[in-house]
Amino acid sequence: MPIAAARLVAVAAALVVASGALLAQGGPPRRTTNAPPAPSGPTPRTADGRPDLTGVWNALGNNLNGIPNQMSNNGIVIESATAARDLHSGLRIPVFPRNTTRPQNYEEGERAAALLRRVGSNRPIYKPEHWETVKNLDHNSNEEDPSNNCMPAGIPRGGVPSYIGQQKDHLLLIYPGEGGLIATQTMYRMIPTDGRQHTPLQELDGTYTGEAIGHWEGDTLVVDTWGYSANTWFDQIGGYFHSENMRTVERFTRNGNTLTWTVTVHDPDVLLEPWTSTPRVAVLNPNPKAVLPESLPCSERDLNNLVTKEHH
Amino acid sequence: MSKVRGVPKVPVLVVAVVALAAGTASAQQALDRATALRAAADALGMVRWSDIGAGTTRLPGIDVVNTMEFWASGTIDSGGRAMKAEYHAALGYNPAAMRVETTTGGTGAAAQRTIQTVREPFAWDESEIGAGLVPGKGTATPAMAALRERALLLWTLPYGVVKAALAAGEKTTVSRESGATIVTFPLDGVLAGVTVRATLDAGNLITRVETRPDNAALTALATVTEYSNYADRAEVLTDIKTPGRIVRKQGGRTVIDIEVKKWETNNLYLVFPVPSNVKAAATPSR
Repeated sequence: MPIAAARLVAVAAALVVASGALLAQGGPPRRTTNAPPAPSGPTPRTADGRPDLTGVWNALGNNLNGIPNQMSNNGIVIESATAARDLHSGLRIPVFPRNTTRPQNYEEGERAAALLRRVGSNRPIYKPEHWETVKNLDHNSNEEDPSNNCMPAGIPRGGVPSYIGQQKDHLLLIYPGEGGLIATQTMYRMIPTDGRQHTPLQELDGTYTGEAIGHWEGDTLVVDTWGYSANTWFDQIGGYFHSENMRTVERFTRNGNTLTWTVTVHDPDVLLEPWTSTPRVAVLNPNPKAVLPESLPCSERDLNNLVTKEHH
Repeated sequence: MSKVRGVPKVPVLVVAVVALAAGTASAQQALDRATALRAAADALGMVRWSDIGAGTTRLPGIDVVNTMEFWASGTIDSGGRAMKAEYHAALGYNPAAMRVETTTGGTGAAAQRTIQTVREPFAWDESEIGAGLVPGKGTATPAMAALRERALLLWTLPYGVVKAALAAGEKTTVSRESGATIVTFPLDGVLAGVTVRATLDAGNLITRVETRPDNAALTALATVTEYSNYADRAEVLTDIKTPGRIVRKQGGRTVIDIEVKKWETNNLYLVFPVPSNVKAAATPSR
C-alpha cells in the first residue's frame, strides 16, 4: 500500500474512532442535509457602514463530499431524506435511504465520492478543441492535478477562505493548506479596496493568486483578479485548466453568521463562455476567540506508485 | 326505520371495504414500485453516499449517474443493411443529451463517419465533435425530425429507464411475469406518448426494454433493446455496472448489435452546448 494511502486509512480510522467517541459522549446530532444552515444573528458593520467580513469561517469543517466548508460544491443540495436538486439546472435528483449500517471501506467511499463530486450539471463550457484535454486531465488527475505534490491550489480553486481580516483599505484572506487528504500549501491574499486600478496584464508575472483588487457593490465585496499563472485548475475537480489570461470575479456576501461566495471565470482563450460557480456557503466559527489551527505539513503522495486511476 | 337505517349500511360497508382494499392495493403497489426501482438502481450501482471527511453529517444516498461514455464494435443498420461499425456514445442525463459517433467502412479513406447529437429539445448532426460552436470549426445541421428517436436511445439505456420510471411516480407499475419483474411506465417531455416496459432479471439488472408509441405509425419509436453481460468496464472504476452487449431492434429488424469495449462512468467531462444555428432553425417540439 502506498504511504499516502496508508496514511489516509489511518486518518479515516482515527476519524471513525473519534466520531464514535463523540457520539458516546452525546455529541452533536448528525446532519442529514447538506443544505446551508439558515443565517442567524445580525450582520456586523464596520465604522464606514460596510458589512464586516472579519472572522474565522470554518464552523462547518472541511469535506471532500461537497458539503462543508465548501457547502454544495458539487452543486447538489440534499434538502432532506427524500429530496435533492441540482442547484444549477433545478433538476430533482432521486434520493434513497441508506440500506445498510455497515461502514464503507476506503475503496467504496473513494469511488462514491468521485461520482458525487462530479454529478452536478454546472460545468464550464470549454471550446470544443479542449474537451478531450479537460476529460483526460480529470481522468488522469492522480498524475495531472497541479495541486498534488504540495503546490498551492490557487484561486479560485481555494474557494471560501477560512479567515478574513477586514481593514479600512484592504482585506487579508487566509486559505489553510490541507496536509492530509488534499495536499496543498497554505495561501494568503492581501486585497486592496482603496480604489486602485489593475496593473496592465502584460506587466505582471503570473502567480497562483494573481493580482486581486476589491471594491464594494452595495453589501457585496467584489474581488477582481488577473495576473494568474496557468499552473492551477480553477475548481476542485474536473481538470479545469485555464490560460494566463484568466480573470476571475469573486463575490462575498455576509448574512448574519453565513458567508456566500461565488466566482465567475473569464478565459476567452479556452472557454466558450464565462463560467459562474455554484454558490458556496461558509459559516462563522461560533467561538469568538477562535483562531486558525496550524496547517498539517504536506504529505508525501507516492504518485509514481499508483496503479489505479480512482481519485476523489 | 331499522331497515331504512340498515339499507345504507351495506353500501357504506362495501365502499369502505373496497376503499380499504384499494388503499391497501395502492399502498402495496407503491411498496412494490419503490422496492423494485431501488433494487434496479442498486444493481446498476446508481445509489451512492460517501462519508469521507463527513464529520457528523450522514447524508442519504442519491442517484449519482450523470455523464457516461462508451466505445463498442459491431453492426448498425445503414439503409436496411447491417454494416460493420465502430460505435462511440457520450451521454448525460442532466441535461438530457447524447452524442453518437459511428464509423462504418473501416478506418481508411472509405470510412464514413456520422455524429448524431441530441440535447432535449434539440437534435442536430455534427461534421466534427462540437461543430458549429466556434466560427469556422465544422458544421452543425439541425435534425429535429430525429429528435424523438435519438432521445429514446438515451432513455432506454438501463440508467435512463430507472430515472424515467422514478420520475413517472405513481404512473409506474410493477408486476411479475414468469418469475421476472416487469416495470411499466410512460415517458414524458419530447417522448410523451411512449410507454416503456422493462424486464429485470433475478439480479435486478435490466435485460430487456420495450417501447411502444401510442401512435402506431411512429414505427421508429417501437423498439426492443436487450442488454447482457453486465460488468464495471471503466478505467476509473466506480462500481457502476454497464452492459457488455446491446442489441436493439426496430419493428423486428436489428438496428444495433454491438459489443462494448469500454464504458467510462465517472461523470466525466462531457458537454452538449446547442449551436446557435440549431436553436434558431429548430422549433422545439414541446
